[in-house]
Amino acid sequence: MSVADAGRSAPFPELTLRIADTLARLQRARDVAVGCSEKRAVWKCGKTTLYHYLPLAATRRVPRDTRPLLICFALVNRPYVLDLQPDRSLVRRLLEAGLSVYLIDWGDPDDADRYVDLEEYIERHLGGSVRYILGSHGSEALDLLGVCQGGVLSLCYSALHPGEVRNLVTLTTPVDFHTPDNLLSKWVRGLDTALIAASGNVPGEMLNGLFLALMPLRLAQQKYVRLLTSNPDQRTVEDFVRMEKWIFDSPPQAAAALAEFVRWFYQENRLVHGTLELAGRRVRLGDVRSPLLNLYALEDHIVPPAAAAALGHYVGSRDYSECAVATGHIGMYVSRAAGAEVPRRITAWLAAHR
Amino acid sequence: METPTSGSGFRPDAAISEAAGRFFELLKTFGTAASGATPEWSALAAPLATQFEQWLRVSQSAGPWFAAAAGVPGAGTAGAACAASTAAGLGFPPAGWPFASLPLGVTGASSGETRALELFARLGQLQAQLAAHWTEVANTAAQRFVARVGGTAAAPGSVDQALKLYELWVNCAEEAYAATVHRSDFARLQADLANTSAALLVEQRRYAETLARAFGLPTRSEIDALSAQLRELRRELTGRGDAPTAPQAPRAERRAPSAAGTAGTRGTRGAKPPRPKGASRASRAAGRGARVRRPPR
Repeated sequence: MSVADAGRSAPFPELTLRIADTLARLQRARDVAVGCSEKRAVWKCGKTTLYHYLPLAATRRVPRDTRPLLICFALVNRPYVLDLQPDRSLVRRLLEAGLSVYLIDWGDPDDADRYVDLEEYIERHLGGSVRYILGSHGSEALDLLGVCQGGVLSLCYSALHPGEVRNLVTLTTPVDFHTPDNLLSKWVRGLDTALIAASGNVPGEMLNGLFLALMPLRLAQQKYVRLLTSNPDQRTVEDFVRMEKWIFDSPPQAAAALAEFVRWFYQENRLVHGTLELAGRRVRLGDVRSPLLNLYALEDHIVPPAAAAALGHYVGSRDYSECAVATGHIGMYVSRAAGAEVPRRITAWLAAHR
Repeated sequence: METPTSGSGFRPDAAISEAAGRFFELLKTFGTAASGATPEWSALAAPLATQFEQWLRVSQSAGPWFAAAAGVPGAGTAGAACAASTAAGLGFPPAGWPFASLPLGVTGASSGETRALELFARLGQLQAQLAAHWTEVANTAAQRFVARVGGTAAAPGSVDQALKLYELWVNCAEEAYAATVHRSDFARLQADLANTSAALLVEQRRYAETLARAFGLPTRSEIDALSAQLRELRRELTGRGDAPTAPQAPRAERRAPSAAGTAGTRGTRGAKPPRPKGASRASRAAGRGARVRRPPR
């Protein structure tokens, strides 16, 4: 049944008109662009690319010895959500604060990468990025901002290389994977990770399906109905389409790394138990001693607030701050309210820790 | 059966149109119940439950898991056929069955086919269990809605009232869904579905390997073995200090990065790292991707 057919015989003809108008705006917004700040690739390892954002025109005279900030995003999504459009860009707010911003894009693993494991991602890709930046800036240490799963990788790296991370910021980062409200964790607890590893890279569509299944009616129906019936203007529709593009533009996952992530973190909760080993070394959150700012969302259905707040119990940092923001997981990166609060808190905290 | 959010690639137009279509369907259902002088909300329970159950079956037919097998020729068809034949009470193998017609030797064919048939049968059982959960969720959601709306609401006389009813329905449905999917038996079922789907995928690939070998083509196992050798060599070289721990930067800088889906990305030509100021020899070397020697910890 088409929308037109359905709407023709539906009650409230004005609603049908409203929806038809929104559908027309959606059509016009189809090819909307995502990403806004200029950046250049400065280093590459496998499918991973390290980008350096160019300073904004207003802040071009940033001293060259500005301490660099490296953003480590999740493997399961693409990082351009942090720089979606000028008025919704964490990256841009950081640049406006005069920071020298780097970002890791993990790229699209293909079958040649199916055995890329977490150790390789953390030690070679993340570690290589850190070493490149330190070498370029002549610094001993940098500031590290880990986002979601990237926060987990950042915690591991900080624990193994504490001297290279001056300040650590974690954003919607799960630490305790066994909190009672973690539906994702309940579902994957019984997965046979050896089978995952054996069956090859996991398509991004599968993970999208998994995330949608956490709240299917809200995420696959209500969200659209709200847009269609709210009389949105063209700009609102374009914002919406940008988000949709990002949500469903997920890269495939290297089989070995995904299997390890599921087993070590979701199933065995090794970060909390202190049983994680990488490169033959024990990863202890207690070894993370750099000043740490932990930001998490109160309405997060993917990383429940308790899963992120647990970091405060285990981390070794004496200078630990946390901040809960009243929004959802994705809202932390792009919602209007959080879009102002999150960058402001990060830049203020980093400025106070220079 | 695919929905706009399942299968290979999201189709936003289709997803939004589908949501609109279902929304209108729901409004009609509300309108039917409220058409008399006194709304008969209890009459809504059955149609609401039926609509919701149907939607759950279509959109969550194998949970999200079977999508993993969708990339394999035949697997998506077989998976959908499996789900459909289960729902219809039909037997196996389903239409599109990828094993039956392949020209394999007697022994290989029979063992591979037997194992795959077992997995399909198991998948069918799990699908049936999943369907039972959807029935429960849909009935609970409908009853919850009728209980909440019954005492308070008049027939929706305006768009705003209709939208409020819709929001109430979504809340009831999500609550009912959450109550079921957080349970340990459901979580086990999800894991079983995923594991069975993955096992089927592995079995299909094993079968394809046998076929490739029969035709003298390179197989996945051979490529994996080569890949493992390369990794081992790289580790050995790294251990001997003959290879960089991090890859070289200059080559990447000369090549434009893949930046699909992003705007404002500048090409990499001439991308130079900032000149180190006061950097130690070791850290400058690290910038070029050379081995970094750290003091022992």
